[in-house]
Amino acid sequence: MEKILLRNVDAPDSHTIGAYRSRGGYRALEKVVREMSPERLIDEIKASGLRGRGGAGFPTGMKWGFVPKDSPKPKYVVCNADESEPGTFKDRLLIEKDPHSIIEGTIIAAYAIRSHTAFIYIRGELSFGAKVLGRAIEEAVAAGYLGKNIFGAGYDIDLILHRGAGAYICGEETGLLSSLEGGKGWPKVKPPFPATHGLFGCPTVVNNVETLASLPWIVERGAARYAAIGTEKSKGTKLFSVSGHIRKPGVYEVDMGYPFKKFLEEDCGGVPNGKKLKGVIPGGASMPVLRADELDGVTMDYESFQAAGTLLGSGGVIVMDESTCMVRSAWNISRFFAHESCGQCSPCREGCHWMEKIFRRVERGEGKAGDLELILSVSGNIMGNTICPFGDAAAMPAAAFIKKFRPEFDAHIAQKKCTVSAS
Amino acid sequence: MDPVKITIDGREIATTKGKTVIQAAAEAGIAIPHYCYHPKLTIAGNCRMCLVEIEKMPKLQIACNTQVAEGMAVKTESAKVLEARRAVMEFLLINHPLDCPICDQAGECWLQDYYMEHDLSPSRFDERKEHDRKREIFGPFVVFDGERCIKCTRCVRFLQEVTHTDELTVVNRGDDSTIALFPGKILDNPLSVNVVDVCPVGALTDRDFRFKVRVWYLKKTPSVCPGCSTGCNISVETYQNRIARFKPRINEAVNSHWLCDEGRYSFHALTEGERISAPLIRQEGGLAPTDWRTALQAVIAGLGAAAPVAGVLSGRNTNEEAFLFGRLMRKIFSQAAIEVFYRERALTEVEKVLMSPDRSPNFRGASDMGVGSDGGFDALAGRLIGGGFRGAYIVSEDLATLPGDGQKIRSALEKLSFLVVQETRLTPTAKLAHVVLPATNFAEKEGSYTNRRGRVQKVNPALVPPSGALQDWEIFSRLLAAMGEKPPYPGPAEIFAALAQAIPVYRGLSYDQIGDLGFQLETRQP
Repeated sequence: MEKILLRNVDAPDSHTIGAYRSRGGYRALEKVVREMSPERLIDEIKASGLRGRGGAGFPTGMKWGFVPKDSPKPKYVVCNADESEPGTFKDRLLIEKDPHSIIEGTIIAAYAIRSHTAFIYIRGELSFGAKVLGRAIEEAVAAGYLGKNIFGAGYDIDLILHRGAGAYICGEETGLLSSLEGGKGWPKVKPPFPATHGLFGCPTVVNNVETLASLPWIVERGAARYAAIGTEKSKGTKLFSVSGHIRKPGVYEVDMGYPFKKFLEEDCGGVPNGKKLKGVIPGGASMPVLRADELDGVTMDYESFQAAGTLLGSGGVIVMDESTCMVRSAWNISRFFAHESCGQCSPCREGCHWMEKIFRRVERGEGKAGDLELILSVSGNIMGNTICPFGDAAAMPAAAFIKKFRPEFDAHIAQKKCTVSAS
Repeated sequence: MDPVKITIDGREIATTKGKTVIQAAAEAGIAIPHYCYHPKLTIAGNCRMCLVEIEKMPKLQIACNTQVAEGMAVKTESAKVLEARRAVMEFLLINHPLDCPICDQAGECWLQDYYMEHDLSPSRFDERKEHDRKREIFGPFVVFDGERCIKCTRCVRFLQEVTHTDELTVVNRGDDSTIALFPGKILDNPLSVNVVDVCPVGALTDRDFRFKVRVWYLKKTPSVCPGCSTGCNISVETYQNRIARFKPRINEAVNSHWLCDEGRYSFHALTEGERISAPLIRQEGGLAPTDWRTALQAVIAGLGAAAPVAGVLSGRNTNEEAFLFGRLMRKIFSQAAIEVFYRERALTEVEKVLMSPDRSPNFRGASDMGVGSDGGFDALAGRLIGGGFRGAYIVSEDLATLPGDGQKIRSALEKLSFLVVQETRLTPTAKLAHVVLPATNFAEKEGSYTNRRGRVQKVNPALVPPSGALQDWEIFSRLLAAMGEKPPYPGPAEIFAALAQAIPVYRGLSYDQIGDLGFQLETRQP
């Protein structure tokens, strides 16, 4: 397969503008500002079928199309580089190894919606990535790809790198905007949506790093070529970050629709130490876990994962072998979400901690009859009833772990200890 | 204002585009439970109590942020909605102390009310409750109990959006979230206690009111704040014939939902202290009690012989009282100088949100009644200090202790040949009088005020006055009757009828027409 997103990362000095340009970098941007109208660009991205790679999978071109053309307010593009879903580290590779593809993609997105100010909001902990991006932005400014009248085509664009303070919720697009505005990283109630009332109340598009990094290739090679990759509804390639009990952890680029089992066993080398696969979370810690026996026939795309009862999410594949205590895993994930709940809305603020406390008790051998039903009830009461998708992100894995590995949870409660021999 | 028809619980409701479901429902008399929504603050959408089911929408929606659309079908009582509401209650109560018996908000706590209405189930929460701060002093009038807080952020939004003073914010995350003062700040702006009013639970309470009385014992009387001439609508809340607190009463034409701290606590200065329970008359050895008949005759005789005479009415006197006072003074001495007390001060930006520059709630009304046509109170005070009068009739103002020229006024009053003071207490001014007439305070009287924007509003008696004291209108009426004007007026309604005939701008207005929210006179600049 041809690599689209990882095409540059192995090149020497791939993070420099020289290396990037020598491999065709910024040609797509030149083409866009010299030859394409914003409308044509949006149509092209719509035709490519590119869907947002942050987790929700919303069609990118359609999202851009919601931005009002005639708004007198400034318009903004924000690159969401706040990657912090446990198990997900695919954007980090692009940030550190191919920052110019992100910068080029961001400028292309800005041009599409007639924005003249763009931001890259990067997670505070990614300090090395922030340095790399900062230097890359300076290079792009010096080269004239950012600033006034780029390519002499009369288009002005500024790009500002903003470091977050490190809160998971700032990766949620409206939480990110609140943080970027200088406030607490609290998600905003929708409607209004960012496309019309985003950053500082102005029309705003927030796109994930991977989404934006896909754009230069699509523009240069054409939407049709991109759309030819993948499945009917999941076009192109996707990055997957693989971690856990796997021989070859790392970031992989695969064509959408690639067989999941084959990916784990062949591309990633399978489960090490002769152990058996027990379960996989395919889309980052917020997504429902799958048992090993549920992987047959599952392909790596939005539809197939959904049909299997989970979601593609961010593509953070977490592999768990037979030695994994699923009660401890569930508690660990629950603990993360309880810690990161922003505290704004009642079900999430109180519910995440409630679930975590019960999981903790069960894991410590202090569980009692009815605890699992209670967690399922609490997660059901959170699900769908919160301001932002964080509540769902906490509720889905909690419920899935119990439903998929119920006997293990029951045994933990009955025997008041872990029944899985950890190795 | 495009008309829109929606159905709520099967009932067709006509409303307008742009309204939210919670607003449209409220207008139709359907109450959708809520905590964080407040009609005068921005939408936060964080309590999730107002979740409703809307046809064709897969998830429950918050009624506070969902705008109506033609044909929208809303269910506020479906099984799904009731379960979501019960779940929200359960979430809110897991860390909330069950201290209703000692919580000052008991009886008017929305958490308590909705629990009784929607949940009533035992707690499923067996874990350790998170403990927040107890009794943290936020400012001179407000105390915070973190454990009772449900993080609705109404207080934070009030301080961001109404006063723009931003003293409070939410700090920390998850169930560690808590309301806190910004470092170095205290909650001490002129409208600070409104955060207590907007708090739906017992997290923010009024230090002045706390533990005075359980709210279900309070008798509530609609009235008008006597603090200044904005005329904020209030509920005078009393227990055992004492005022326990003032609460704002919603009137969008005047004060919306708010009340300033100065006005809120103004009742202390006006109602505390020992009351005079009989008329007093100066004799050798000082003021001695007398009967009303003797006192009133002494007033008529004394003032009649003391021309030129000045009359000073309090800004807290009603229109009816001002009307009668004007007639009385002119009857005593046709050239009488009559003024209503008035002093202005500069207001800060926050004060300007609600407060007027004066502390005379009925200055406009008194002026309308013809009291105050001789150049204003300061001019009259100047004439008084300059020895321009021999007699004076001062109603409910302690002029001898006024900041600035109080001492000079005191000296002038001491030189008068006859001074009548009508008061509730034996103030330093009253102690100078030849006759003291025991009057009632604003909370014991009935009548009308006209605020600085020309809104006529009713003041209602919330307290029973001490025996021996009379309402000011009654004293004036008796004096007029004693001077030959018959028959005496039986009450404020009849006086209002008379003034409505006599004063052109009030013509055609009846006392009943004023109602609880007032009547706006034809606009003229204050």
